[in-house]
Parts: sequence; C-alpha cells; structure tokens
Amino acid sequence: MDLTGEFHVALPREAVFEALNDPEILGRCIPGCQSIERVGEHEFDADVLARVGPVKARFKTRIAVSNLNPPESYTLSGEGRGGAAGFASGSADVSLEAADDGTVLRYTARVQPGGKIAQVGSRLIGGTARKIGTDFFSRFVEVVTPEPPPEAGKPDEQEE
Amino acid sequence: MYEFNYHRPGTLEAAAAALAAAEDGQVLAGGQTLIPTLKQRLASPSDLIDLGSIAGLDGVRREGDAIVVGAMTRHADVASSPDARSAIPALAALADGIGDPQVRNCGTIGGSIANADPAADYPAAVVGLGAEVRTDRRTIAGDDFFTGLFETALEDGEIIVSVRFPAPRRAAYAKFPNPASRYAIVGVMVADTGSGVRVAVTGAGDQVFRAGAMEAALGGNFSADAIRDASVPSDGLNEDLHASAEYRAHLVGVMARRAVAAAAAG
Repeated sequence: MDLTGEFHVALPREAVFEALNDPEILGRCIPGCQSIERVGEHEFDADVLARVGPVKARFKTRIAVSNLNPPESYTLSGEGRGGAAGFASGSADVSLEAADDGTVLRYTARVQPGGKIAQVGSRLIGGTARKIGTDFFSRFVEVVTPEPPPEAGKPDEQEE
Repeated sequence: MYEFNYHRPGTLEAAAAALAAAEDGQVLAGGQTLIPTLKQRLASPSDLIDLGSIAGLDGVRREGDAIVVGAMTRHADVASSPDARSAIPALAALADGIGDPQVRNCGTIGGSIANADPAADYPAAVVGLGAEVRTDRRTIAGDDFFTGLFETALEDGEIIVSVRFPAPRRAAYAKFPNPASRYAIVGVMVADTGSGVRVAVTGAGDQVFRAGAMEAALGGNFSADAIRDASVPSDGLNEDLHASAEYRAHLVGVMARRAVAAAAAG
C-alpha cells in the first residue's frame, strides 16, 4: 500500500533538502524518537518508542538516505527491530518542488511490518502507517518553518 | 508477559495517586485489549492499576431523560439493563453485539472508549447519541472525546467515571462485523435526538466520525430513501485484508440505511 502526502514549507528548496538530511531535525520529527546519531555519511541510528493504542515498543532503527538528487528528491528509509514486538521497515520517496512562496514537499511511502506486530495488528497497519507519515512530515514543517520576524517599529512599552 | 507491580485501589483518589506515582503506569479496566497485549509482550508497563475494586464505578442508572453508565460496567450488563433497554434500546443492542460472550462479560465501556480502537462499537454510541464522558477531573462532550487513531481527549492520568447518554426520540445501530472478531468493519449509529439527526460511523476511518451530509438529508426526511444515494468519500478510510476503502465507503451508506429503517420502524 502506498501512502502519499503533500506539505507546503515556507523555505527555499535547498534549505528544505538540507533539513531533511539533518539528524537533529529528523530526531525531532520522528514520532517517539528518543535519540538519534549519525553512523555514516547517509546513515543514522535512532531509538524510537512507538506507541499505538495499547502497544508500546522500543525500536532500534537504522535510518538511511539514498537516491540523493539535491535539491529535488531523495529516499528516506528506515528499518526498526522491536525485540519481541517484531520489526518494521519502510521508505518514503520525497520530492521537492520550488513554489512562489517556498517549497512543495510530496512523499510516497511504503511500510512493511513483520513478526508479532504484523500478526496481531494487520487491521491497524494502514492507519498507523498513515498517522506516522503525517505526524513526521507535519512536525517537519513545524520544526523548519522560520519564526515570523518580530514586528518592527513597535515601541517597547516595558521600558517605561 | 513481563513483570509489573499490581495495584487494586479502593477509591478513585487512590487510583489516581497510584497512577501518578508509577514510573510507567497503566489503568486496567476489563482487560480485553490490554491483557492480550501484555501476554504478547507488546507493552510492558511498570505498574497496573486495576479499577475493579472501586465502589460506584459500575452499573446503569436513569438520570432524568438520560442513561448513565458507570465506566466499569460490563457490556453484558448494559445489554441486559432494563433501564437501558427501555430508554435507549439501540445502546443495549449495540452492547449485545460487541465481541463474544467473554468480551461482553469482562470488557467495560470505560476501557473500550479510553482505548479508542477505530473499529470498536461504543465510540459510535458516544458520538452518535451525543453522550458526555465524565472523568475524575471534568466532563468531555462526546463529539470532542475521540481525537485520532487510539487517541482521546483524556489527559495523562485522567480516569473515566461514567458516560451519560441522553435518550433520543429514536435510534438504531447497524454494523457489518468482522466475522471472527466482531469488530465493526463498518458500524453506523443513527439517532433522531429531537433537536436534529446524528449519524456516527465507526470502523471506517482512523476514528469515529459524523456523516454531515446524511445528517442534513435525514433532518428533513427521516427515512432510508432520504439517503438512498448518500455515501462518504473513500479518501483516507481504512484498508485491510477484509475491505478496501471503497468497499467501506459503500458499507457506510448501506449500514446507515439499515439503521434508519430500524429506527423508523421503532
């Protein structure tokens, strides 16, 4: 099953592309990410606490970036092992298109669970995957969007 | 199952305190989802706080024109309650169709809605009947209670005390169950409340939702004919081995018409 989404980011394409390769930013966007570290030029290890309803499992996740075509597109993939809970892998093809007021980010993602979570949770995998994808990219937009500049020319009344 | 500390408090206050003091505490109601999850080692809370010994959390009672169901009331007790059956037969019938006899005799309304499974039956009743959820802190409108896939408006450590269902003029629930689990592939609660029609759909999306177009059509003419051509968009609906999103969208119309016909027939 392919999951797709589209987001608008108020930043130039180059800046969005750079942010998508920044482990610090990825760590703040991956739902449940406890820690993330770079282990290779395009590889990161993350500790992710996944929580869906009653299920709560810690996944040791290897995240990799491939098909790099800056600043237009790349593939973000992850493979997590959740011990007794099972494992999951997924990837998202991300494309960036320059727009007048920033960048349009589109993604197509696929998820493949295995082990116990796939056995007992098959009816919930679609919804869960969609939620993780939406959460990740909407947080990403939130994290990278610059704060609006403070209004200029406003007298500082606290000084009085 | 992993090790955990087991608590069986006698009051809501003690339960809230035990929950707040626990490193990673989890409330246990009827355990019909939680216990299998623990057995599968898909969760490992440090502490389980069992609400089973707290007096006053179970039972069905009338409150004016409404039915109040205690959070720890078993589905079977709602199904057989004379008050529920006379004031809101659709609610009793819904409870009677949840899961299997074990689930109905162990599972509770509070546990079901706190878990907020997207295919559970009770969310359709909470939203479709315009209920309100009472907790140890506040009252939450049914429309605001479910906020996403397995997500609710409950705060950390907040415990459901009861659910108050105002009696509608007429209502019915129709579901297309998964034949193995009896979870709703699609379930629709239709209620003519006296001040409008509510249509709540469970099983189809990542959370229960209201079908506004059907509500408007039924408001003018409460008959299955009024929603003969109505359906819901399939965008974003659940897809699994049992039913595609398009099939679920179609089932929403079919179940809604069955529920309206049943409600209109009284």
